[in-house]
Amino acid sequence: MTVALARFAAQRIASAAVFVLIVAASAFTLTTLAPGDATTELRASGASAAVVAHERARLGLDQSFAQQCLTWASGIVRGDLGASSMFGRPVRALVFERAAATARLAGLALLLATLIGLPLGVVSGATPRHWIARLTSPLSLALVSCPPIVGALALLLLGASTGWLSIESGAIAVPALALALPLAASLERLQAQAVREAVTAPDLVAAAARGIPPARLIWIHAARQSLRPVLGVYGVVIGSVFGGSFAVEVITAWPGLGRLMYDALRGHDVFLVSGCAMAGAFCLTAGNVIADLLRAIVDPRTRETPAS
Amino acid sequence: MPKRLFSILLFAIILGGLAWQFLPHKPGASAGGGRLVASQRTEPDSFNRLVSAKYPVELVSRLTSAPLIRVNRASGGLEPALATDWTAAADGLTFTLHLRQGATFSDGSPFTSADVLFSFRALYDAKVASPLASGMMVSGKPIAARALDDHTVILTFPAPYGPGLSILDNLPILPRHKLEAALNDGTFAQAWGLATPLADMAGLGPFVVAEYQAGQRMRFTRNPRYWGQDASGRALPYLDELVLEFVPDQNAEMLRLESGAVDLITEQIRAEDYAALERAAAAHKVQLVEAGVSVDPTGLWFNLTAVAPGAKARPWLQREELRHAISLAIDRTHIVDTVFLGAAEPAYGPITRGYGPWYVPTLPHPDFDPVRAKTLLESIGLKDRNGDGQLDDASGKPARIAVLTRKGNSILERTMSSVQEQLGKIGLGIDIVALERDPMLKQFFSGDYDAMYYGAPVNSIDPAINSDLWLSSGAFHFWNPGQTTPATPWEQQIDELMRAQSTTIDTAKRIEIFAEVQRVFAEHEPMVFFAAPKVTVAMSARVAGAVPAVLQPQVLWKPETLAVTGAAIR
Repeated sequence: MTVALARFAAQRIASAAVFVLIVAASAFTLTTLAPGDATTELRASGASAAVVAHERARLGLDQSFAQQCLTWASGIVRGDLGASSMFGRPVRALVFERAAATARLAGLALLLATLIGLPLGVVSGATPRHWIARLTSPLSLALVSCPPIVGALALLLLGASTGWLSIESGAIAVPALALALPLAASLERLQAQAVREAVTAPDLVAAAARGIPPARLIWIHAARQSLRPVLGVYGVVIGSVFGGSFAVEVITAWPGLGRLMYDALRGHDVFLVSGCAMAGAFCLTAGNVIADLLRAIVDPRTRETPAS
Repeated sequence: MPKRLFSILLFAIILGGLAWQFLPHKPGASAGGGRLVASQRTEPDSFNRLVSAKYPVELVSRLTSAPLIRVNRASGGLEPALATDWTAAADGLTFTLHLRQGATFSDGSPFTSADVLFSFRALYDAKVASPLASGMMVSGKPIAARALDDHTVILTFPAPYGPGLSILDNLPILPRHKLEAALNDGTFAQAWGLATPLADMAGLGPFVVAEYQAGQRMRFTRNPRYWGQDASGRALPYLDELVLEFVPDQNAEMLRLESGAVDLITEQIRAEDYAALERAAAAHKVQLVEAGVSVDPTGLWFNLTAVAPGAKARPWLQREELRHAISLAIDRTHIVDTVFLGAAEPAYGPITRGYGPWYVPTLPHPDFDPVRAKTLLESIGLKDRNGDGQLDDASGKPARIAVLTRKGNSILERTMSSVQEQLGKIGLGIDIVALERDPMLKQFFSGDYDAMYYGAPVNSIDPAINSDLWLSSGAFHFWNPGQTTPATPWEQQIDELMRAQSTTIDTAKRIEIFAEVQRVFAEHEPMVFFAAPKVTVAMSARVAGAVPAVLQPQVLWKPETLAVTGAAIR
């Protein structure tokens, strides 16, 4: 690794760490200042003022905002994300558990999206008049524009009415497809565009003139050349799916980070909200940093003008 | 060639892996009584019922613990549980309870009177600050418990108490041998949290927690040491396994029920789901059982507190005539038909038919009469002064009321839309302010609102147990909660009547007194009710042995008699 690359990597990692901390601190502040607190439900259930006061004291909600911030910040310095008021467990353990579930889902969704999206993109880009391309293009546009909540419900309905997909709580098929299909559609569109440009490039035109079979030309040479722009967006894609999808995880009852964040927000669980926000921001920035580093390795010019 | 073979092999492995992940896997068939899957929208936050008032915790407690005496939610009568029989002394204050001989906790430890005394001690311990404690007080004082021997307990009430021993339905008996150390060292409030190893817990209920996967499910297996038997002497529960799946989204929950992925929905179904469920019932996929009329209808109330922000500029907001006028101007049948799609009945007060003997069918109620409503509004200075069709107050300002309600609850929002439309016809302007729960409750607690359309769940049909709505000091005396002294003579009258019925032992007399409470309430109408939904329980066609009730949990209050067809009952 060159000195320039090492410096570039250090800068990106440092700015990513600052971003993660800012997101976590913002989540903590906004949730603390939002109306209500973790005892709202208890109070609404008709619990006596003494019981509510006891619970507020136990959760540290009787302290001033500044004191609560200080408690949270000193915990962060020690690597302690606090305890969840909803689950009565350390936030760090909860976030790790749910991040593992989200990672499993995201990994499978990425694999599926890649296996479906890239080959279809090659076909669409190289042979736009082929029936597969004619079918794929409108379908991809529909999937890209379909909100995840609608896609997840549609797949759930499909699973419920046909029995082809398991819809039990914790079954991975529906959430993975709900995440993978729009992602596959995006990759297909990107890949198709890149292949279209690649097949008209002078080197490929020359290769065709030299008699290289069309299939080899498309699937080996054009596909390889067109991968570069597609790989550029992988970092962002990885970051966003590993951060947890709110809508897909709630609809399909997948116990991941997105669902944990949803529960934490509903329960006004300040430490858990900031822990989930931190994990989501970490995934997003990690994906971006990896993508930036890969680009920097491939293209040295990037190190001089780091991506924002 | 080897490269191509490797590619094919790799592709086959990936395809095989995906197929394994995606194909539906049937759970292993269980021998005996079968497996029932119920869906639940929220997760419990503890295994310790004494430290959490949340519904999922109550649900888990009803599966894994048992009270001394249980209230039959379908009939309203008392059923023996850990106490097999009991006698009351002539003073009406002292009860002798005989405990079940030979009963053991799920870990094999014997159940004795020491566990009962321990449970009462934990309930009332100041350090525990149990949210259940206030509901287990009689005239503000705790019930005293002492043991005569290992299987006899004497409970002494501090004052005569109308509901009597039905109060014990809410108290699960906990194992002293497992929790006494935590109570002694002041850590009881943290004991039996969700991270507790399952083997460290023991209960007297029909099931034990066998597995907890956060965010996914809680699996319960049959407690082989459960003391219950059916009428023919067969050991209960019938089921081998009961699974609570956590499904936060109601649409997903309905799809799972219709497809057979779950057998039972533990919470009330929405009116908009009836049509689909009726089709599924016609196809024999699900069964719909109407348990009765809801006991917690939603009501509209005005802020009658001294801090009400609109009261100075718009004193008519706190006038009784306004509430009566609204009550007269609303066609309740229209709301029943359009909002609830017929799955409700008109409501005129908080006590619906679901309250059984406490309901007074002869209570006079306002009929739909918009003309009389306008006359009443005119009597408090609200009339159309500029011919624009809108009512104006004495200063010429348009009469408008901001009504707070819960965002995202389609029934609340649609009912208020209908009310807005109907009141618009008599010129009264309604601004619906739909907020998320926390900001809405914040405005309620701070008294910063004009009016509100909401409600609170009811945990007993006995008005003495559920007295917070009626007493002026109550937390659910929505229009003016937590008063130190009653603000109006009629609230004082209700307070006195409620105290009288609460301390009267004779049930017929209590019903008579409570009818008078309802009459006073109807006369002053501090809350206006429009419709009470019918409580319908949706279960898969294979569920048997359910005894649906209007109170939550509608089916799982009696989990031991549940069975699934196709499974052998022991």
